[in-house]
Amino acid sequence: MRSALPPSNSPIPASIRGDIVTTTSFIRAVIAVLFFAFSGPAFAQGTDPRPLFNQLADANFNEAEKLVGEIATTGDPRVVPALNAFSEGDLYFRKSDKAVFAAKPVGLQLELIDPVTGESAGQVAKGAVTKVKVNNNLRRAIRAALGGLTLMSPDRGARLSAADAILRSPSAETLELVETALAKETDAEVKARMEEARAVSLLSSDRSVEDKRAAIETIANLGGREAMRIFSTISSSIDESLKPDVDKAIAKIQGQLQLWDLAQNVWYGMSLGSVLLLAAIGLAITFGVMGIINMAHGEMVMLGAYSTFMVQEVIRDNAPGLFDWSLAIALPVAFLVTGLVGFVIERGVIRFLYGRPLETLLATWGVSLILQQAIRTIFGPTNQEVGNPSWMSGSFPLGGMTITYNRMWIIVFSLTIFFALLFVMKKTAYGLNMRAVTQNRRMASSMGIRTPWVDALTFALGSGIAGIAGVALSQIDNVSPNLGQSYIIDSFMVVVFGGVGNLWGTLVGALSLGILNKFLEPSVGAVLGKILVLVLIILFIQKRPRGLFALKGRAVEA
Amino acid sequence: MNFRTKLGGALLAAALSTTAFHGAFAADDTIKIGVLHSLSGTMAISETTLKDAMLMMVEEQNKKGGVLGKKLEAVVVDPASDWPLFAEKARQLISQDKVAAVFGCWTSSSRKSVLPVFEELNSILFYPVQYEGEESSRNIFYTGAAPNQQAIPAVDYLANTEGVERWVLAGTDYVYPQTTNKILKAYLMSKGVKEEDIMINYTPFGHSDWQTIVSDIKKFGSAGKKTAVVSTINGDANVPFYKELGNQGIKAEDIPVVAFSVGEEELAGLDTTPLVGHLAAWNYFQSVDAEVNAEFIKTWHAFTKNDKRVTNDPMEAAYIGFNAWVKAVEAAGTTDTDAVLDSIIGVSVPNLSGGTSTVMPNHHITKPVLIGEIQADGQFEVVQETAAVVGDEWSDYLPDSKDLISDWRKPMSCGNFNVATGKCGGKGS
Amino acid sequence: MITGFILRALEGKIVVAVGILLAVAIIVPALNLLTPPDSALHIPTYAMALMGKYLCYALLALALDLVWGYCGILSLGHGAFFALGGYAMGMYLMRQIGSRGVYGNPDLPDFMVFLNWKELPWFWYGFDMFPFAMAMVLIVPGLLAFVFGWFAFRSRVNGVYLSIITQAMTYALMLAFFRNDMGFGGNNGLTDFKDILGFQVQAGGTRAVLFAMSAIMLALCLIVASAITRSKFGKVLVGVRDAESRVRFLGFRVENIKLFTFVVSAMFAGIAGALFVPQVGIINPGEFAPANSIEVVVWTAVGGRGTLIGPIIGAILVNAGKSYFTGAFPEFWLFALGGLFIAVTLFLPKGIVGTIQHGWNARKALKAAADAEKGRDAGALPAAQQAQAAE
Repeated sequence: MRSALPPSNSPIPASIRGDIVTTTSFIRAVIAVLFFAFSGPAFAQGTDPRPLFNQLADANFNEAEKLVGEIATTGDPRVVPALNAFSEGDLYFRKSDKAVFAAKPVGLQLELIDPVTGESAGQVAKGAVTKVKVNNNLRRAIRAALGGLTLMSPDRGARLSAADAILRSPSAETLELVETALAKETDAEVKARMEEARAVSLLSSDRSVEDKRAAIETIANLGGREAMRIFSTISSSIDESLKPDVDKAIAKIQGQLQLWDLAQNVWYGMSLGSVLLLAAIGLAITFGVMGIINMAHGEMVMLGAYSTFMVQEVIRDNAPGLFDWSLAIALPVAFLVTGLVGFVIERGVIRFLYGRPLETLLATWGVSLILQQAIRTIFGPTNQEVGNPSWMSGSFPLGGMTITYNRMWIIVFSLTIFFALLFVMKKTAYGLNMRAVTQNRRMASSMGIRTPWVDALTFALGSGIAGIAGVALSQIDNVSPNLGQSYIIDSFMVVVFGGVGNLWGTLVGALSLGILNKFLEPSVGAVLGKILVLVLIILFIQKRPRGLFALKGRAVEA
Repeated sequence: MNFRTKLGGALLAAALSTTAFHGAFAADDTIKIGVLHSLSGTMAISETTLKDAMLMMVEEQNKKGGVLGKKLEAVVVDPASDWPLFAEKARQLISQDKVAAVFGCWTSSSRKSVLPVFEELNSILFYPVQYEGEESSRNIFYTGAAPNQQAIPAVDYLANTEGVERWVLAGTDYVYPQTTNKILKAYLMSKGVKEEDIMINYTPFGHSDWQTIVSDIKKFGSAGKKTAVVSTINGDANVPFYKELGNQGIKAEDIPVVAFSVGEEELAGLDTTPLVGHLAAWNYFQSVDAEVNAEFIKTWHAFTKNDKRVTNDPMEAAYIGFNAWVKAVEAAGTTDTDAVLDSIIGVSVPNLSGGTSTVMPNHHITKPVLIGEIQADGQFEVVQETAAVVGDEWSDYLPDSKDLISDWRKPMSCGNFNVATGKCGGKGS
Repeated sequence: MITGFILRALEGKIVVAVGILLAVAIIVPALNLLTPPDSALHIPTYAMALMGKYLCYALLALALDLVWGYCGILSLGHGAFFALGGYAMGMYLMRQIGSRGVYGNPDLPDFMVFLNWKELPWFWYGFDMFPFAMAMVLIVPGLLAFVFGWFAFRSRVNGVYLSIITQAMTYALMLAFFRNDMGFGGNNGLTDFKDILGFQVQAGGTRAVLFAMSAIMLALCLIVASAITRSKFGKVLVGVRDAESRVRFLGFRVENIKLFTFVVSAMFAGIAGALFVPQVGIINPGEFAPANSIEVVVWTAVGGRGTLIGPIIGAILVNAGKSYFTGAFPEFWLFALGGLFIAVTLFLPKGIVGTIQHGWNARKALKAAADAEKGRDAGALPAAQQAQAAE
């Protein structure tokens, strides 16, 4: 782009530009003021926060940031709910008089709540108020301000998150504030967190070298990424004599982290493996046991995911309180829906094709195209929103690892399905019939087993299991008509790699492919990693043409 | 004998199917326009919406009396997310259906596939999606954002307002992210960012296991400097990516993610509560507070009979392209390609963010850049809006394209004029 | 000996089919170039390009039929050989652009320039020469088939397992070609070709020649395929399909027989790809998609596998149907295609040509008619084949 075009500079409108204050220095200032507020005999209640809130109506982001600071310096604990509301975007100003309120929706209206007194100020239509905008910087400023305000809050959770807030944005000024709070703290966990916050703040203060050395120790014991971040932030500004201590601490943490990284990688691999297992386990029945090259398997997974979506829609409309149970409700629904579809497919198409596996491939591929397009016609081609129940969201730390709940539950879930299926296959009369039919149809038939019925039920079972896998996969992937397509090839690889007809092979195959993939990924990247895994499978099949756990004996010939 | 008739019949049927069935020629009182968006296959998820939007605009235009006193008629075909089929369908629209202009394509591949067809048959394509730039064809109008209308302002916002010093450029491995990241890297380094403060990562299409990458981002972000992620991750892979971000507890206040391919439509499949504050850069958001936008959304909801259907940036780009074409045809008094190509340059039409967009001589348009933060309701809230920016087809930050310009006005009429050598055609050698 | 080989191929239906193809190769371009556009006999360029594409697909289906219909190897990766042939041609066409690319770099294709590549990667060397590129059209798919088949057939990977690893092969190649670092243009592939052997790719005359070439190559490959299947080797081939173990016990090297057929078939697919690319104007990794390869299987099944004419008719019919449906009823295309898959496997297991042929034979053998109707039309295959399929 050159002279032939009008200039393409991008002036920022004055309303947004303003002066840019760097956040950290700003937060430091806020906390400094806070400190004085707290260290006095009582906090300075001289200023009324109400007019400060009202000023937010006209403020740009930078002015708002200053106002948040000023609101915090009033030290008035009553502003905490309003600040929380602000950070969540629930602060509004009334168009008529520009008075600012926190608000919560009541039906189609908004109930206004006074930001200071917390009293209701009546309900208004949504059009009568305007939202006070908030951005990341403001949220950070609010978090820091709340950290100062709630350090001595009677609520344990609030104190904990306050200590966390200080840990994340430490400064010398907070030190005494933390120490005051620490002296009064009784709860062990909060106390420990405050100790850490104190140590971090101490490092940037002008305390003695000995104090700092002890602080470094405390942080080093905290360990993990957080400590690394703190050390790398302060290492440039720290006293020369303390450098060796910091370096030693860093080396120690790094050593630990390497081990944890390894464990984390295994975990990621298992979690990927469990997803592969889920996707493949239904196929291990329809393909592995029955010998049908079921290309519509992925679509069964998709139908399961859409069943989850439908269940959640019904719950959202009728009984929002049950939302956390939605997955539990969706499981039997998905199993029945996909099982039924599988039953129909078996009776309508597949039963004519036994003994001709390659032709089942064509017919089921046709089925998969029809199912895909049907879903696209009914629900539209876009992603559908499947929510995560609260117990599937978030994560918890385990040593140096982060374990996310959804992945953990999916691992548990996939193993549960696996063992349940194993039980059905090996320990029930139905499982016995099924194995008999697949091993020797004619003999089984002569023994009085109704082979067509067993075939239909087995295919329905395989499809139903694909359906409940869809319930789980809807939690981590898109719910769109293409969902099944993205799993079908991987599923076949897992079953073939593990050994057709062997459930244990599917389990081992899925987990080892998952872990292999995750160990390749950091060094060669996600794309190349996946290619390498495919190539390895191709080579492996040359070595063991019937997979990891090959069936032996006469069954192979059938 | 049997086989001769069979084979002959088959070839004849093939020929017939292409001529006879599409032989429904336009009556004299209609003007046909082509809609070339995938309705099946992997891209249907994004492109179907644009087809609906086009049909709506045609209907609205017909209510206003059509164009040049004639009714518009949209010819919809399905290239089925198959790039060679795009070329075939484009040829069909132009030479069989005799459409006056085509609105369509989403991926760069599909555009690259039809480009030679449009140049050969001299027709017009309006391409409504943000793309990597580095192209300017006489027969294509690029109404989506070029990198300077999306990526660079977004990075500026993060650097200036949020004080970001360390950058993760994460994208799907295809041309748009590769080029955009090249441009961004050059741009950031020109602003003094060190190489070790930039991490570039590519993933395959539809990547669904983000655990490793998200934890890498966390690691990268724990080096003590403020870190942000610039995401050029494509459509389908975004939902699992954001779910993983949310679950691993990466908050926007700590490591904000700014995305160039995530709009209202992509967020529709997602609970956005854990994502509040992550950003996107576009030229339009559904939440934009403008009368013309409110009107557009109302029409859209009425047309689709669905109050929940969201609008998004490519729809706005299609809207601008369509209106510019209508205005140009009316100015030229004909739908003849050459006349419209002449009259469309300089045409200004209202855009949906309350301003106007002008078609520039480089076949790109002017539009403002909006930075929005994701809200809990799946919408965006604008936190910054620039004045209108001209789409820059040849990036100034790539060594081989910084000397190139495009100007399709006579007498230059060149898509890649080299200002260093003063010749048209790349290096002009 | 060679003439005998060829003469044996030219028999009955094959002669007719080759005759028709050669006639098409002359008549269609002539009608396109020599008649005025408003004449009733005129074939528009659009229709000719479309038919040219169908002919390439027909050749691909023929290639698949050779391994599937005659040798019992169901390859779900034939799209890979097709795409590789296409890429070889595409690379030649890219190099022909020369300094007419948007950046005017005489050596590097545009996509390399804007990704800051400094020099041409070694595997692009030589592709500026037409003969070299044409050799690569045969060699690259042939070599891949050789290496892949050499491993697979030697370790006796067959049936379903083979199908699935061929699918893995094309899937891995697709992922690889999607990578921009590979140097094949990533997702966008190779496009915006200018000329071939000095003639403009888009020009009417070039198109006509390309169309004629497609028809002629299809006829040639048909003759070769026919010669192979009618030779003694061909009989063994069918033996491998129907009872692999018996053929092995008779002393034949089954893996070599399979390997030879697989390589020839891959080369046919490569030729089809090379002819396809200049006519549609783009080659990209989408051609490697496993779904495409499965579609080829369907064309072959629809037309009738194990007959050489069948796949050609199947490919043309299904693709004509696709062109029609995606234009006229875009929403229903997948329903129609899916329905076709099911209907063909259930009701026409021999495909269109196979069923007609079967009916023809049955009518001729009036005596056996009643038996044949009962035994075969129920959809069951001959016992030997059934056993093989189940293995």
